[in-house]
This record gives sequence, C-alpha cells and structure tokens, in this order.
Amino acid sequence: MQRYFALLVCWLLGDLVVFVATYALAYFIRVGWIFSTDFPFERFLAVSIVVAPLWLMVLIGTRTFALTRRQRSPRNMAYILYATVVGVALFALAYYFTFGLFFSRRLLLYALALSATGTWVWHVLFEQILRRALHTKPVFRALVIGVTRESKELIETLNRARSPVVPVAILDGRGAKETEIDGVPVRGKLNKLEDVIQGERITHLIQCADLEQSLNLLSACRQHGITYMLLPSVLGIVERDDRVTPLEGFQVTAVHPRGGLVSWLFE
Amino acid sequence: MHALILAGGFATRLWPLTEKRAKPLLPLAGKPIVQYLVENIPAHIPIIVSTNAAFADGFTEWIARMGRSNLTLAVEDAHHDDKKLGALGAVAEWITKDAIHEDLLLLTGDNYMGFRMKDFLEAYTEGIPLVAAYDIGDREQAKAFGTVVLEAGTNRVQEFEEKPANPKTTLVSTGCSILPAATLPILQSYAAQHPDNVGGIFEELRRRGQEVTCFTFTDTWFDIGSFHAYLEATRSLVGERVLLGEGAIANENTCSGSVIIGDGSHVTKSTLKDVVLFPGSTVEDCVLERCIIDSHCTLRGVDLTGKMIRAGTELIHPALKNGKARQP
Repeated sequence: MQRYFALLVCWLLGDLVVFVATYALAYFIRVGWIFSTDFPFERFLAVSIVVAPLWLMVLIGTRTFALTRRQRSPRNMAYILYATVVGVALFALAYYFTFGLFFSRRLLLYALALSATGTWVWHVLFEQILRRALHTKPVFRALVIGVTRESKELIETLNRARSPVVPVAILDGRGAKETEIDGVPVRGKLNKLEDVIQGERITHLIQCADLEQSLNLLSACRQHGITYMLLPSVLGIVERDDRVTPLEGFQVTAVHPRGGLVSWLFE
Repeated sequence: MHALILAGGFATRLWPLTEKRAKPLLPLAGKPIVQYLVENIPAHIPIIVSTNAAFADGFTEWIARMGRSNLTLAVEDAHHDDKKLGALGAVAEWITKDAIHEDLLLLTGDNYMGFRMKDFLEAYTEGIPLVAAYDIGDREQAKAFGTVVLEAGTNRVQEFEEKPANPKTTLVSTGCSILPAATLPILQSYAAQHPDNVGGIFEELRRRGQEVTCFTFTDTWFDIGSFHAYLEATRSLVGERVLLGEGAIANENTCSGSVIIGDGSHVTKSTLKDVVLFPGSTVEDCVLERCIIDSHCTLRGVDLTGKMIRAGTELIHPALKNGKARQP
C-alpha cells in the first residue's frame, strides 16, 4: 500500500508541475520568448503556483485519480476539461483580485488548451506506470465470487489491461470444475471465504454470481474493510449501460430503454 | 457394539451458518442436531463422533457440556473439504486406528430421526447388516438418497442403489445402519476405492451376496442438508409457536409460524414468520420471513425474506441510526 501512496503523491505532484508548466508555456507562446516588463512573468508564475493546488482539488473531486478510472476514456477527458476550465477561471479571478488587471484573452485560451492537453497526456502516461507497478506486484488484490462467463471475461479483461485491481483468487458458491481462470486459481466454495480473505490479503471483492449471498458477502467486506463490487449481470443487467442515479434521495440502478437517448438524458 | 457418528462434512450448502461450526452442531429447536442422536443411543454403547480439524473445538466444547463419559471425538486432520478423507474413508481410518472388531452402529450427524434407537437395535440380527429406511413418497426426491428395494413381504434388502437416476422405489436409506464386525474388512477395502460413498457399502455388500435387512419406520425424519430442509425440520419440531432461549427478550412483535429466539437475543417491534435467531443477536423494527440469523447479528429497520445471515452481520437502516423508527 505504501508503494501505491508513493505513486499517488508522484502523480499529484506531477499534475501541479504540468499545470504550472503549461501556463508558463502559454505565457511564452502569447508574449514571445522574452520576460516582458509590461506583463511580468514573475507575477504570472506566482498566480499560477497559487491557483494550481485549488485546480488540483477540483480535479481530485471529479475522481479522476480513482483506481478504476480509465484515463483514456471520453468521460475522463470530459472531467479533465471541466477541471481545466475551472482552473482558467480561478487563474483569471486570482490575477485580477491580486493585481487589479485583466490580460490577454488569447493567453487564457492557450492556457486552457495546453493545460487540458498536458494534463490528459500526463494522466495517460502515468496510468501506464501505475498499472505496470501495481499489476506485477499487486497491491489491490481482488477476490472474484462466481465462475461464470461474465466473471471469466472480467478476469481476462483485468489481466489484459494490467488493471491495478488484480484478481488473485476465485470462489464459487456451487463448486466449479475449473481449477483456474486465466491463471487465477479457483480456491473452492464460499466456506473458504474467511481463509482466502485473510490469506490473500484481499482488498476488493467482486461478486459475479450467487446473488442469494450478497448480504453475507457484504457483511464479510464490512467486517474486513474490503471494497465490495457487484457485476450487474448478477442482477440480470447485461446491457452494460446501467447507471446508479438518485431518485428522491435513494440511489437506484437504472437501465434505460435501448436507443432512448432523450429518456436517458432527461428521465 | 460401538456407535460412530459422521460429522466431518463442511456443509457448504449451509454456508454461512457452517462457516465456523459443523452442521451437526447447528441448533435445531433449542439443541444441536447431533444431540438428538446421542440422547437416543442407549447409555451403555460407546459413541465416537468423527469430525475434522476445522470443527474439532466446537465438538470438544459440546462433548464437555453433554457430560456422557463414553462420548469421545475422533479428529480427521483436514481443515478444508478438498483435503478430507471422505466420510467412508474416515470410518475406515478409525476402524484401523482403534482396531475395532465389534459391530458398528453407523450414523450421519446431520440426520434427525424420530424413531427410538432401542427399536432399531432390537431389529438387528447378529451378523446381518441392518439399514433404517423411510418411505419418502416421491421418486424425484428419492434420487438424492440411497434407495432400498425389499423382497416381497420381507424385510430383506433385494437391491440397494446409491443416488439412482431412475429410482425403482421411494424407500430411502436414512443414514442409520448397523454393520456387523465381520463386514468391516469389506468396508475397509471398499473405502479405499470409494472414500466418499457411505451408502455404496450396502451396494457392495449385496454385490458380494451378503444378506442385508431393513428397518422401515414412519416416524419423523429429516436429512438437514440445505436451508429449506433446516427450516422444514424446525417447523416440524417447533410447530406454530415462539421458543424463547435463556435471557432472550421479545417485545411488541408480531410472530407467526415457528419462531426461535436464541439465548440472549433481543427482538423488538418486529414481524417474524418462520425465523431462527441464533444467540446474542439484536433485531429491531424488522420484517423477517423464512430467515436464519446467525449469532451476534444486529438488524435494525430491514426487511428480509428467505435469507441466511452470517454471524456478526450489522444491517442498520440509516433512519434508525439516529434513533428514529421507520415508517410502517
């Protein structure tokens, strides 16, 4: 776990550096490769350094750094863009409140484009480092419940993508014939749950079958401080477009009709 | 004669109730299933309970509570079901280890039998294996057991089939039998090839031309192998009433069917129907139907149907965390 936290700190510090560096680059592209006396670089740099942690907090709030987030995904790109728009707004306000001055609008557009692109590229690169480091010597060790076609697909995908959440053991409520799936051992039935959780130092439990045991698996997760995940196919949801959404304060899993973009957006 | 009770299974179908205790030690209407067997066996017959290393402590405690001097434990060195010897393998090992040369009363620890053991023992003829059988009345259900075909008008077993695909009869073997001392070498050689097949020994005896007799009974019998069988057995023994354990408290509840509230458990403002609550649990403002709740659980403001809940589970509706009641 220390390895993960060290990597996370590097990632966050890298984001701060990227933010400040892309703003500095925007300055030089707009002003030219000189230190202007009318629009001093020192002031510009100082404000970007002050704003960078605030921007980072916005980015953290979007859960972009979550283990399960794919950095290349369109959704993640949207979150990064949103955070950089907020960053530009914070920077403009901070500069104005500090020095009582506005400055080039094109510079802000450059800063937005460069910080968004720079942050996204940095995240994609660091994701590779993170996956390499965490998949080879697993820190986040997943126990998969159920030997089904869905669980096989999940395990193969996690391994192929070198996911930081690494499947290390499988249990099956009914007793499966398979002894391993994609190199992950099938350790037996649910009576081995406690032994496997403790012996394998499980951090994540992914339920892929045995719906009737959800309560007990959740109970074990709560007792051991393990993250519980449920594959929607256990509930019969195979569409892969289910969403957890609030309904008058209740979190419900919603599956919208096929092709119903309008209902998906507004219902 | 020696009695041997097989109690070495891991009972995965009854997980999580059997996570930390053997199935024969599950409480049935107030006492462990295996205790009904032991209390039914005449006092002069020594009893050995065969179990595995994972459940040995539970049986040791139970034996100490029983206070029967000729009740002892044989422990198979297996912590998981993939390392166990098999039920018949365990019998064979015990016979070899303890150099048994006497008749053997063989019982499975997860069966509840309503007949008097004295009657069964009286039906035994020296040197002829005896098996207790029950007419289950349904060929589909019979597929899960050993079936016994009798010679017309006699109690002699013509044919014994273990878990047949197409049962010829609905008379099934019930996990209670007597094997004469002379048949123990056959058991040992058969166990070497089929360590898991307890019922198969009677097929083998018949194959070798050995006469086998049958004790047919109509009293209550339960093979408690699943959640439904466990609840069914509880309903049959408890009936339409509430059983309160020592120190248990039940206030302002609506109960129907068979409800068992274990020692020290507290149940308030709840609706319960066919519920078994193990010791030390707290249930408040819940609706529970056909549930078995293991020990030391805390349930507040939840509705559950047809669930087995593992020991130590906490399920508390957020509204009740602030001390309020849920809307009816």
